Amino acid sequence: MNIIIKRASVEIAIIGLFCGIVSGQDQSPAKGKSEATIELSYYKKADMSKTVVAVIKAKNNDGKFVPAKNTQVNFYVMHNKEQQKLNIVKTDNSGHAILVLQKDLPLNEDLSFTIVAKIENDSLYEDTEEQVHYKDADLTLNLNPHDTARLVTVKVTETGKDGKEIPVHGADVKFYVQRLFGIMPAAEDNTIGTDDKGEASFAFPKNIPGDTSGVVTIVARMVDNEQFGNVENKAATSWGSVLAIVKDPFPRALWEPYAPLPLVITITTLFGGVWFTYFFIFFQLRKVKKDDQLKMRQ
Amino acid sequence: MAIEINNLNQEIETVREDCLRPTQKWGRSTQIWIGCLLIVMGWGLYCYIHQLRDGLGVTAMRDYVSWGLYISTFIFFIGISHSGTLVSAILRITKQEWRRPITRSAELLTVVSLLFGGIIPIIDLGRPDRIGNLFIFGRIQSPLMWDVIAICTYLTGSMLFLFLPMIPDMALCRDRLTVCDSPFKKFRKWLYTKMAIGWTGTKSQWHRLELTMTIMTIVIIPVAVSVHTVVSYIFAMTLRPGWNSTVFGPYFVAGALYSGSAAVILGMAVFRKLYHLEKYITPRHFDLMGRIVLALTLIYAYLNLNEYWIPAYNMVTAEGHLLSDLFYGSYSKAFWTCQFGTVLLPIIIMSIPKGRTPSILPITCIIIVAGAWVKRYLIVVPTLLHPFMPIQEVPGTWSSYFPNYVEFSVTAACLAGIFLLITIFSKLFPMMAVWEVEEGILIEHDKKVASELRTKREAEEADMVSNPLKQPTY
Repeated sequence: MNIIIKRASVEIAIIGLFCGIVSGQDQSPAKGKSEATIELSYYKKADMSKTVVAVIKAKNNDGKFVPAKNTQVNFYVMHNKEQQKLNIVKTDNSGHAILVLQKDLPLNEDLSFTIVAKIENDSLYEDTEEQVHYKDADLTLNLNPHDTARLVTVKVTETGKDGKEIPVHGADVKFYVQRLFGIMPAAEDNTIGTDDKGEASFAFPKNIPGDTSGVVTIVARMVDNEQFGNVENKAATSWGSVLAIVKDPFPRALWEPYAPLPLVITITTLFGGVWFTYFFIFFQLRKVKKDDQLKMRQ
Repeated sequence: MAIEINNLNQEIETVREDCLRPTQKWGRSTQIWIGCLLIVMGWGLYCYIHQLRDGLGVTAMRDYVSWGLYISTFIFFIGISHSGTLVSAILRITKQEWRRPITRSAELLTVVSLLFGGIIPIIDLGRPDRIGNLFIFGRIQSPLMWDVIAICTYLTGSMLFLFLPMIPDMALCRDRLTVCDSPFKKFRKWLYTKMAIGWTGTKSQWHRLELTMTIMTIVIIPVAVSVHTVVSYIFAMTLRPGWNSTVFGPYFVAGALYSGSAAVILGMAVFRKLYHLEKYITPRHFDLMGRIVLALTLIYAYLNLNEYWIPAYNMVTAEGHLLSDLFYGSYSKAFWTCQFGTVLLPIIIMSIPKGRTPSILPITCIIIVAGAWVKRYLIVVPTLLHPFMPIQEVPGTWSSYFPNYVEFSVTAACLAGIFLLITIFSKLFPMMAVWEVEEGILIEHDKKVASELRTKREAEEADMVSNPLKQPTY
């Protein structure tokens, strides 16, 4: 029995080694466990969802830090100096593990929250951890569509212990325009600091293309703020220039949603004619067989 | 007269024996050959599974060269598939009597090369499991869709075109091979009976066969031309240097006919030697086929000149970069070897009568076929390496391409598959259309008798002029 198990394990090891060579994926450290690092970021999006993103990198055989994929990351929240487990998330191909935070997160005395990310008891990487402290902030966008000056006003507030809103002073807010594949800075200098009232005003430039109705989506974002992390909000308004779609008089047939009728008719007629002939041949072949049966009867 | 009929029957019997003999035994060499082919195919299958499991990244293809050896081979195989149409259909329609011993091998080559030619684009897909989407969501305005339709149509037509003249032969096999001692007797009996579809040679059956064959002969020629034209459209309808050319349709068709007919000669030479068919596939066949290939090579050379001379004269920027690379860059050796070695040299050799003999012509055809394959590679790859946007901020290896062992192995497996199917076919079915060769003998005999009668009548008429009282014997 032992011999069978030994043989099987040797075979599995050989197959595993072979598969490793064939696929060219050498993720395992050469000797023992390798060193890993965790970078944590916090995001509060316009839909009020809160996420923590852990980027895991590990040393490869060349000593370079590369994204560690499929690695288990344990997330905790600190409460009364104790760690409460939130969830376990595996990293994707780019080494990112994304945790969506629950709404009723336990808070510290100063109303901040502490998130801890850990790699624990991993077969490939040494144990490591990283933590971040952030406070919850709100970013409110105010704009009047009829304002000729096109002023976008953002108010940044945090919630006090008594539940009241406290303006955040001196926070940098960046202004962007939403495009199809991402966001574009709304101006060359798109960063404005908040004043004593927690407000920052930005004059939206002219001639930024919008959609066919001139609607643009303005995005205001605090980026990597020490106290509040990444917080954003967005609003749509018709301050963009109207996008005029000029119909191409000679469109390329391939890009059209429907095939030109003459093309459909031509292809159907040509190939339909050929296939009709084939069916006629099949029909004649059936008759060849019937001729034989007829002869047999006679 | 009775002696003559006896001789004729004996001759027909000899034809039947000569054609059916190779199907009656599977020698040791055949088994070894099939074994070797299966090994090559097995290794190719393993490499393909590796490619399926780990993605197309295991090949040498990257973002820029996404059509490499696979698509070059696809065009090459589709080109070879034109052989059956040319030799069989065109020679049939023009009533060339000498075609009879070679039509079957040409038609077979069409079907098998088309079968594997059709498989290769699926091999080139990263997610072949999504092939069904092409039929569900296919856009009729896409040349790729035309290609799928045209190849499916041509494959069906070619199979019919191969099958129709086989029916009387299948009846012959059913009646003769299953009574003698041949391998897989039971299977053969079943196969021949099914394929003979109850053929007994009645007048009405012959009438239907002639009708269907005439129709298919006419239909298959435009279908074949459409297939390679549509294959060329995949390239010509893009806006890429080297591909966006109005001459691409006829250029591809001419290239296909030139390489396909050369492949037919190779098939003729191999079967003639292996199955001892020297009596039927004579030096005259090689001479006539050589003349056809010579004519096709000249047409191909002319279109080649048009394809390169006009853009070379204009040297528009993007086209100029590509042509510089082909004329005196990294592909110049392969390009000029193709132009001089596989086009000009064969023209010179085949222009001389001695170059069209059974010993020289097959060697020339090997050069032509190999050159045609390299030429397809030169059509596909250099253009992909010369995009309009410069290649930048990518790994250096992406700016060049040479197929790796995975691509070579899978391609070799496809080629082995073609050889395997031809081998199995030739061991199950006669490689010459027996009834067609017999028909040829009868026509030849009738001509001989008619000629003799004419001579006799002329002699008697001359005699009557000199002796008016003598009665004519006819």
